[in-house]
Amino acid sequence: MTSRGAEPSAVVDSRSTETVDVGKSHGSSYPSLHPAPQPWSSSTGELGISSSGYHYDPQRQICMPGDAQGMTSGSHSSTPSNIVTANTTQPYSGYAPYSSSTTSYNYNAAGFQNYYYGHHLPGNDSTQQIVGDQNSGAAYQPLSTFQNSGSYVGPTSYLGTYYNAGDNQSGAGYENNNYNYQTSSWNDGNYHHYPHHPYSSYTTSATSVTQTSATATNSLYYPQQYNKWPYYYNQPAPVANGVAGTDNSPATSLQSAGYLGVSGGYPYASNQPPPPGTTSWREESKPPVVPSFQEKEAVVPYNSNKTWDAVAPGLQTPTISQSTYFQNPLNPTPLPNENHDSQQKVLYSQPPNLQHSTSNQVSEIFQPQQQTVPLTEARQVSKMQIPTNPRIAPNVGVNVLKSQKESSTVSAATRPAYISVGNDKSSSVDDSGLTKGLPPSFCAYVTRSFARCKDDAERSANTNILKQLIGKETADGTLFTKNWDIEPLFPLTIEQGAQQNLVSDSSLPILKRSPSRRKSRWEPVADEKSSEKPTSVDIHSAKEVDSKSSIGKSVNGWGGLKFLPSQQQSTLHKFSPRPSKKARFFDTSNVTEIGDHSSDSDKEQNLTKYSASAIALANSPEEKKRRENRFKRFEKGQGNQTDMKYTRPKISGASSIYTRKASALLKAKSFEDGGNKAVEDIDWDSLTVKGTCQEIEKRYLRLTSAPDPSTVRPEEILEKALHMVQTSQKNYLYKCDQLKSIRQDLTVQRIQNALTVKVYETHARLALEAGDLPEYNQCQSQLKRLYAEGIEGCRMEFSAYNLLSIILHSNNKRELLSSMRSLSAEAKGDEAVKHALDVHTAVSSGNYILFFRLYKSAPNLNTFFMDLYAEKMRFEAAKCICKSYRPVVPVAYFTRALGFSKSIQVDDNQDANINGFEECEEWLKAHGAVLTVDNNGDLQVDTKASSSTLYMPEQEDAVAHGDANLALDDFFTRTQ
Amino acid sequence: MAYLSMGEAHRRITDYLSRFSDAVSSQDASALSVLFGVSSNSAFLQALADALRVLQDSDRLVERYSQLAEILSPLLRCLQSYGLGRYTDAYVALEKAANAFLQEFRNWETAWAMESMQTVALEIRLLAEKADRELSSSGKNPEKLQGAGSFLMKVFGALAGKGPKRAGALYVACQLFKVYFKLGTVHLCRSVIRSIETARIFDFEEFPVKDKVTYMYYTGRLEVYNENFLVADQKLTYALMHCCPEREDNKRMILKYLIPVKLSIGILPKQWLLQKYNLVEYSEVVTALRKGDIRLLRNALREHEDRFLRSGVFLVLEKLELQVYQRLIKKIYLLQKQKDPSKAHQVKLESIVKALRWLEMDMDIDEVECIMAILIHKNLTKGYIAHKNKVVVLSKQDPFPKLNGKPVSS
Repeated sequence: MTSRGAEPSAVVDSRSTETVDVGKSHGSSYPSLHPAPQPWSSSTGELGISSSGYHYDPQRQICMPGDAQGMTSGSHSSTPSNIVTANTTQPYSGYAPYSSSTTSYNYNAAGFQNYYYGHHLPGNDSTQQIVGDQNSGAAYQPLSTFQNSGSYVGPTSYLGTYYNAGDNQSGAGYENNNYNYQTSSWNDGNYHHYPHHPYSSYTTSATSVTQTSATATNSLYYPQQYNKWPYYYNQPAPVANGVAGTDNSPATSLQSAGYLGVSGGYPYASNQPPPPGTTSWREESKPPVVPSFQEKEAVVPYNSNKTWDAVAPGLQTPTISQSTYFQNPLNPTPLPNENHDSQQKVLYSQPPNLQHSTSNQVSEIFQPQQQTVPLTEARQVSKMQIPTNPRIAPNVGVNVLKSQKESSTVSAATRPAYISVGNDKSSSVDDSGLTKGLPPSFCAYVTRSFARCKDDAERSANTNILKQLIGKETADGTLFTKNWDIEPLFPLTIEQGAQQNLVSDSSLPILKRSPSRRKSRWEPVADEKSSEKPTSVDIHSAKEVDSKSSIGKSVNGWGGLKFLPSQQQSTLHKFSPRPSKKARFFDTSNVTEIGDHSSDSDKEQNLTKYSASAIALANSPEEKKRRENRFKRFEKGQGNQTDMKYTRPKISGASSIYTRKASALLKAKSFEDGGNKAVEDIDWDSLTVKGTCQEIEKRYLRLTSAPDPSTVRPEEILEKALHMVQTSQKNYLYKCDQLKSIRQDLTVQRIQNALTVKVYETHARLALEAGDLPEYNQCQSQLKRLYAEGIEGCRMEFSAYNLLSIILHSNNKRELLSSMRSLSAEAKGDEAVKHALDVHTAVSSGNYILFFRLYKSAPNLNTFFMDLYAEKMRFEAAKCICKSYRPVVPVAYFTRALGFSKSIQVDDNQDANINGFEECEEWLKAHGAVLTVDNNGDLQVDTKASSSTLYMPEQEDAVAHGDANLALDDFFTRTQ
Repeated sequence: MAYLSMGEAHRRITDYLSRFSDAVSSQDASALSVLFGVSSNSAFLQALADALRVLQDSDRLVERYSQLAEILSPLLRCLQSYGLGRYTDAYVALEKAANAFLQEFRNWETAWAMESMQTVALEIRLLAEKADRELSSSGKNPEKLQGAGSFLMKVFGALAGKGPKRAGALYVACQLFKVYFKLGTVHLCRSVIRSIETARIFDFEEFPVKDKVTYMYYTGRLEVYNENFLVADQKLTYALMHCCPEREDNKRMILKYLIPVKLSIGILPKQWLLQKYNLVEYSEVVTALRKGDIRLLRNALREHEDRFLRSGVFLVLEKLELQVYQRLIKKIYLLQKQKDPSKAHQVKLESIVKALRWLEMDMDIDEVECIMAILIHKNLTKGYIAHKNKVVVLSKQDPFPKLNGKPVSS
C-alpha cells in the first residue's frame, strides 16, 4: 500500500521538477495576473493559521514561490510529496476503522498514477496549465467559496477567474508545480477538514467544479455552480483552514507544513473515497447521493455547457457516484457520519462535502496529471470523473461504451495507475500485517523501519518492535495523532494529526517509495524496497482478487473509476479542445520552459509520453533524458502499449481483472523503474503471463493483443477445465471451443508439460471423433513437437494416427517413408502402429477385405481415420468386385466385404448381417449397382451390368470450398 | 608444421592474390577455379592457409585489388578458417565471397568464368555440408546447407535465363538437387525442373553429358517417389546409358532405383547384375518374384526395410506383392494343368488357401477371394470369380498376361 501512495507523490515530484523553471517565471507572473498572489505567498507561512480560503491558495502559491525562489524543484516536490503522504496517513489513521478499503486505496493510487502519467507524456505546456488551473480552482473554490475556480476550468474564463487560474495560465511549467501543490493543498483541506465537515464539503465542491471546468469550456455553468458552491464552501472552509494550519504547521516548516497538509489531505482524500466506496458505498448512499449531486453540481454546469451535454451525463454521474461513495466511507468516521446523513439529503451539505472532498481529491490528483498534456484536460475531466465512474459504470451504460472507445492514451494513463497500485501492494506486502488500520504516516514509518532491515531476522525484530510500538501508541491514543513522518525511526514522538486513517496506510508509504521520490528524505530506504516488491505485489494482488468479499467491492469501484475516466477523457477531448488551446496560449506567452518536453506532439506521442512519464517520476534533471529514452522505448516496444490497450477494455469488467492488470502493469513498470534497461534487455521469460483466472470455463477468443493475466487460467485450473471438458456431455463445438481456450492459456503461459500433451491429445481425439481434421492436424503437429521434446504421452497412439493420416489422406509417399523410417522397433511392435501399418498394406494393395477387417478391429480412434476413407475404399472394392465376379454376387457378400455388417467373421449371425444388409443395399443402389433377385429371393448384384453403371455419387454435404467443416449451415447447426 | 616466416607468408598471400587477379583479368576460368577450390586440399591452398595463419592482417594486402577485394577478403578468411578446420566460419566467409563473385559474374557479358562459378557452387555445397556436420555435432541447428540452397538458387537464377551462360545451369541445378535431396525438401526441385524442361530456348541435349546424367538420375528418383514408373524407367535408363562406364559407383546408384522400377513393370534382373553392383538386397525380392513366394518377399522386405525405406523404394517393392500372387496362382494353374488340363482353368479358392498355408501365410478364403478379385481387377489375371462356387475361372487365353514393361494398372 505504501508504494501506491508513493507513486502519486512521485508524480507530483516529477512535475515539480520539470516545472521548476517555470515556477520561477510564474512567480513573477503571478502577481501581475492575480491580485491575491502576494497574500497567498505570505499565507504560505500562515497556511496553518490562515483562513481556509486563503490557506489553500497560499499553499499552492507557496509551492510556486518556493520554486521561484530557487529551491530545487526536485527537492521541493519530493519533500512536499512526502509530507503529503504523511499527512494523508494521519487522516487515514482516523479512518483506519474503515480500513477494509485498503485495497481501494491502492486503486486510488493507481488512478493517480495514471493521471500522473498523462501529465508527463504530453509535455504539457498549455494543457498542463489548464489542468493546474482547474485543480487550483477547484481547491480554491471550496475553501474560499470561490466560484471562480469553476471558471478556472474554462480557459476562457481564466482571466476573469481566480488568481489560481491566472497562476496556472501564466506558468505553463507551473502546472506541474501547481499540481503538486494543489493536490497538497487539497489534501490539507481534506485533512483538516476531515475532522471538520466543512472541509470535506469544500473538497467536494471543488471536485465538482473541477469536473465541470475540465469538461466544459463554458464558463456559464460555472457561475451557477459557484453560487451553490459558495454556500457549501463557506461553511466548511473556515474550519478546515484552521484545522489544517494547526496540524501542519507544527510538524514542519511553513512551506513544508503547507505541503504536508495539502498532500496529506490529498492522499487521505483519495484513500478515503475508495474505502467507503468499497464497503458501504454501493449499498447505502449511492442512490440518494447521486441524484442530488447531479442536480446541483453536475447537472447545472453541464447544462450550461453545450458541448458537454452529451458527455456530461456520464461524467456527472461519475462524480456523483464518487461523492456518494466517499460519503459512505466517511460515514463510518465519526465526523463524517454526521455529515453523512445530511449529505445524502443535501448534496452540498457538509457531510456531502466530505464525500466530495474525497472524490475531489481524487479528481484533483488526476487533474494535475492531466495538466501536463494539452489533451489531458479532457482526460483530467475524465479522470476526475473516473473515481466516480466505476460506480457509475454499473449504472450508466453510456459510460462504459465510451470507455471502450477511449484512445490508447487513456489506456496508457490507466496503466500507470495500475502499476502504481501494484507497487503499493508490493511495498505493503511486508507491512500490511502491521499497518492495517493504521494511519498512513505510520505505515510510511513502518515502511521506513523495514527498509533499513537487511535480512529476515532484522525484519522480524523490527516487526516485534513495531508491534509493541503500535500497542503502546494505541494505548496512548497517539497512534493516529503522531506525525510519523518526522518521527525518528524508533524513538517516537506524538503529534497532532489527522485522526482518520483508514486502510489506505499503505498507499501513503508507497508514495514515498516510488522511484521518482528518491529525493525525499525517506526515499533511499523506500527505493530498496520498491525494487524488490514487484514480485510480491503480484501475489498480493492475486490474494486481493481472491478475497473479493470486502476488498473486491472497493476494487470494483475504483477500477471503474479509472476506466470510466478514460472514457470520459475521450469524450472530453472532443469537447475541450478550445480550453486547452487557450491554455496553451497562455503558456507559450508566459512560460517558455514548459515547452521543453514537447508542446505539440501529436496525440499518439502524447500518449506514449504519458505512459512513459507515468512510469517514471523523476525529480532530477536527468528526468528529461530518461523520459526521452523511455519514449523511444515505448515506440519500439509496442508490447507495452499493447498491454495497456489490452487492459483497458477489460478493466470495465470484473474487479478482479483490475487487480490482475495492476500486477501485470506492475511488471511492466518495474522494468521501467528498474531503470535503464532497454527493451532488448528485458527478460521475457519473467514477463510470461501467469494466469490468475479461476474460472474453469472460458470461451476461446483469438488474442489480438497481449494476454491479460486475469483472464488466463493457471495450470491447476486448466487441469480442471480439461477434466470438465472430458466429462462434459456437450457437443463437440463446445468442447472444441473450450479446448482451444485451454490451449491458448497454455501457450500464453508457455506451459509445456504432460498437461499440455494431454490437452492436445484430448483435443486431437475429440476432433477425430467429430471428423474435424483441420483441428486434428493442428494438434498433431503440436504433439509431434512436444513428443520430440521428450514429454511423455500416448506417443504410440498418435504415431499410429499420424501414419493413418498420411496413408489415408495426404497420400504423400515421401512423408510416409520418412514416417515409417522414424518408427522405432518398439513402435513397430505397438498394436496401434501395427494396425496402421496393416492399413497401409491393405490400402496400397487395395485389399478391401483386410481393410474392413482392420476397420472393425481398429484400436483407439484409428477407426475414425478409416471412416474417412471407407467410402472410397468401398467404391473401389465395389468396382473391383463387379469386374472380377460373374455373374452375380449376393448383396450379403457385399455387406460383409464392404464392412457394412457388424461382424464379417460370423457368417451365421444373421442378425448382425441383416443390420448392415439394408444399409449395404442402400449404398449399392446409391452407387448405381444393378440389383436383381434370384430364385431364392436373395438380393444379388448383377456384376456385369453394374461394372459399367457404378459411379461415385456427389457428396450431399459437399461445399464449394471443399471443406464441409466450414459450411455455414453446418456450423450453425452444430453450434446450437 | 614447419615454421613459416612472415616474409614467406606474405609472399604466398600476395602470390595468391596476384594469381587471382591475373586469372580474372586474363579470363582464365580454370586457373580461377583452382583458387576457389577451398576443399580441394591442393598443396597450394594448404600452404596459403598456413601463411594466413602466420600473417593475420591479410586484409591489408587485399586492399590493392580494389574491385576484387570484396571477393578476396572473405575468400582468404574462408581459406584460413578451413585450414583451421572451422568449417562453419569458412562457410560463412565463402558465402560472402561467393555472393560477391556472383555479382561480378553477372556483370560479365560472356560465360568465361562458368567453370569457376561451378566450382564455387560445388564448394558452397560441400562446405555447407561440412559446416552442418560441425554444427550438429556441437548441438546447434544445422542450417548452412539450407543457406547454400538459397545461394545456389540465386546462381541458378543468374544462369538459367536465355544466353551463353545457360549451359552451366544444369550443373547448378544438379547441385541444387543434391542439396534438396539431402535436406529432404524434394518438392523444391519442381521449380528447377520446370525452368529446365519447359524452356524452349535450349535443347536439353546441348547440356554437358555429365550434367544430363546427374539430372536424369535425380529426376528419375523423383519419379520413383511419385510411382511414375514408366517415366522413372525412362530417365534412369537414360542416366545409366550415358553414365561414364568407368564410374561403377554411379552406375550402382542408378541401378539402385532402376531395378525396383524395372521390377514393378515386370522386368527382372539377372542375378549377376545384382552381384556385380553389389545390390544383393534385391536378389531375394527377385527370387520371390520368380517363385511366387509371397513369404520370401515379405521377409526380404522386412529384412532390408531400413535400407529400402532410406532409399525410398520400399513402397515400390511392397507393390510387387501382387505380382508374386500372380506368380503363385500361375504356378497352381500350371500344376493343375499338368494334372487335369481340362479343368485347369478352374482354380478353387480353397487350393489357393492351401498353397498359402504351405507358405505359412494364414489367410482365409475371403481374403484370398479378395486378392483374386484384385488380380483380376488389375489385369494380372484374366478370368472371373464365381462367388457361389468359390472358384476362380481363368481365361483360357493368356490367363496371366505379362506386364512387359507396363506398370500394374491401378
